[in-house]
Amino acid sequence: MENSMSIILGGWLSAGLTIFLFSFLYKDNPLFKIAEHLYLGVGMGWWFIVLLYGTWIPKAYEPFMQGEYVLIIPVLLGLSLVTQFIPRISWISRYGFTFIMGYGAGLVLPLNLATDFMAQIAGTIKPFSQLASMSWGAIINSFLIAIGAVCVLAYFYFSVEHKGIVKKASNIGIYFLMIYFGASFGNTVMARFSLLYGRFDLLYDFSGASYAFATPIIIILTVGFFALKHFMDKKKNSGAAQP
Amino acid sequence: MLIIKKYIPLAIVTIVGLLTLATYYVPAKASSAYLSTLNQWEVIVSGFAFLLGLISLLMTHYKKIAKRVDGWGYSLFVFIGFFAVVIPGIISHGAQAKDGVLTSLGWAFRYLYNPLAATMFAVLAFYIVSTAFRSFRIKSVQAFVLFIAAFILILGNVPAGQMLWDAMLGWTGICGIGDIIQWIMQVPSVAAKRGIMIGITIGAAVTSLKIIFGIERQYMGRD
Repeated sequence: MENSMSIILGGWLSAGLTIFLFSFLYKDNPLFKIAEHLYLGVGMGWWFIVLLYGTWIPKAYEPFMQGEYVLIIPVLLGLSLVTQFIPRISWISRYGFTFIMGYGAGLVLPLNLATDFMAQIAGTIKPFSQLASMSWGAIINSFLIAIGAVCVLAYFYFSVEHKGIVKKASNIGIYFLMIYFGASFGNTVMARFSLLYGRFDLLYDFSGASYAFATPIIIILTVGFFALKHFMDKKKNSGAAQP
Repeated sequence: MLIIKKYIPLAIVTIVGLLTLATYYVPAKASSAYLSTLNQWEVIVSGFAFLLGLISLLMTHYKKIAKRVDGWGYSLFVFIGFFAVVIPGIISHGAQAKDGVLTSLGWAFRYLYNPLAATMFAVLAFYIVSTAFRSFRIKSVQAFVLFIAAFILILGNVPAGQMLWDAMLGWTGICGIGDIIQWIMQVPSVAAKRGIMIGITIGAAVTSLKIIFGIERQYMGRD
C-alpha cells in the first residue's frame, strides 16, 4: 500500500480534511459539513473494525467454534440489546442492560471504595504520622491538603444548612475548587494547543514538493470556493430583492 | 408475563451484582474464575451496545437520504466514511500493518481517521480561548483565583512564559514558575480533587447499591 502515489494521495486527503475542518473558524460551510459527516462515519467504521477484530472474533466467534458453547449466553444478551429498535419486543433488551448494570455496579463499588475513598482519606491522614521527619514546607502542605479536602467536602455537604462554621468551611472550599478548575482549564488549553501545533506542523509537511504542494493548493482552492460562493449568494440575494 | 418482563431481569441485576461484589471480598480461585468469565462476557455484551448506537446512527442518516430532507447530501458522507474504513478493515483483517508496510486499513487510519479526529479536537482550542475571553470577567475574588491558576498554568507551560517570568521575577530568587505549577498541582489541586473524588465515590456507591437491590431501575425503561 505504501507507494509514493498512495502517500501523496494520503497527504492530499489529510491536508484537505484538516483545512475543511479549520474552515469552520471562518463560518459554517458545506466543506466543513462534509468533513464533519465524514468524521462521524469514519469514526464509527473504525470502532466497528476494532470491535470486530478485537472483541467479537477473538473473544466470541473463535472460542465458540472451538467448543466454548457457553459464550452463546453473552452473545444472546448482547443481541437482546438490539431489540430496542422493535418497540413490541423492546423489553427483551432489559436482559442485556441488567447484566451490564449488575456487573458494572458490583465491580465498581468495592474498587471505587478502595481507590477513590479509602486511599484518598489515607493519603490525607498519612503525612500526619510522619511529621517529625518532614520539612516545614511539607508539613504546611499536608495541613493545606487536609483542610482543603475537608472544606471542599463541606461545600458539597447539603444535608445541613450552610451557616456558621459550615458556611465558612464551604467558602474556603470554593477557593480550593477554583484553583483546581483553573489548573484543569489551563492544562486543557495547553493540550488542545499542542494538538493544534501538531496539525499546523502536518500542514507544513504536506506543503512540500514530496506531497505535490497539497496544502497551498487546497488552501487556494478553498479560498476560491468561498469567494465564488460569496459572489453567487450576493447575486442570488440581489436578484431576489429586485421586484 | 410480568415475571419474564420484569422480575427475571431484576433477578439478573441482583445476582450478578452481588456475586461480582462478593468476588472482591472472597479471595478464592472460584472468585477469580468467575470474574474472568464475567469480564469476557461483559466485553462481548458491551460490544453489542456499540452496535446499538451504530445502527441508530446509520438508520437516522438513511432516513434523511430516503426522505430527501434538507442537507440529505451530507448524510451520504456518513456512509462513505463508514465504508471507507470498514471495507479496508475487512480486506486487511483488522491489521494496520503487515511486514512493516501499511495495509489499506492503516492507510485509512493515518490519512482519514487521524487528521479528522485530531483536527476536530484542535479546533476546540480556538473555542476554549474564545470562551475564556468571554467568561473570565473577573467579577469576584473566586473568579480571580480561577483566572490566576489558569494563567500560571498556561504561562508556565510555554518557553516564552518561563522566559518572561525569569526576566520579571527571576531576580527575587524565590522560585521558578515551574515550582509554582508543581505546588498548584500537588497541594490545592490535590485537596480539591480529593474532596470531589470522595463525594463522587459516596454517590457512586449509593447508586451501585440501589441498582443491585433493584431500587434504581430507570435503565429498564417503562413497563
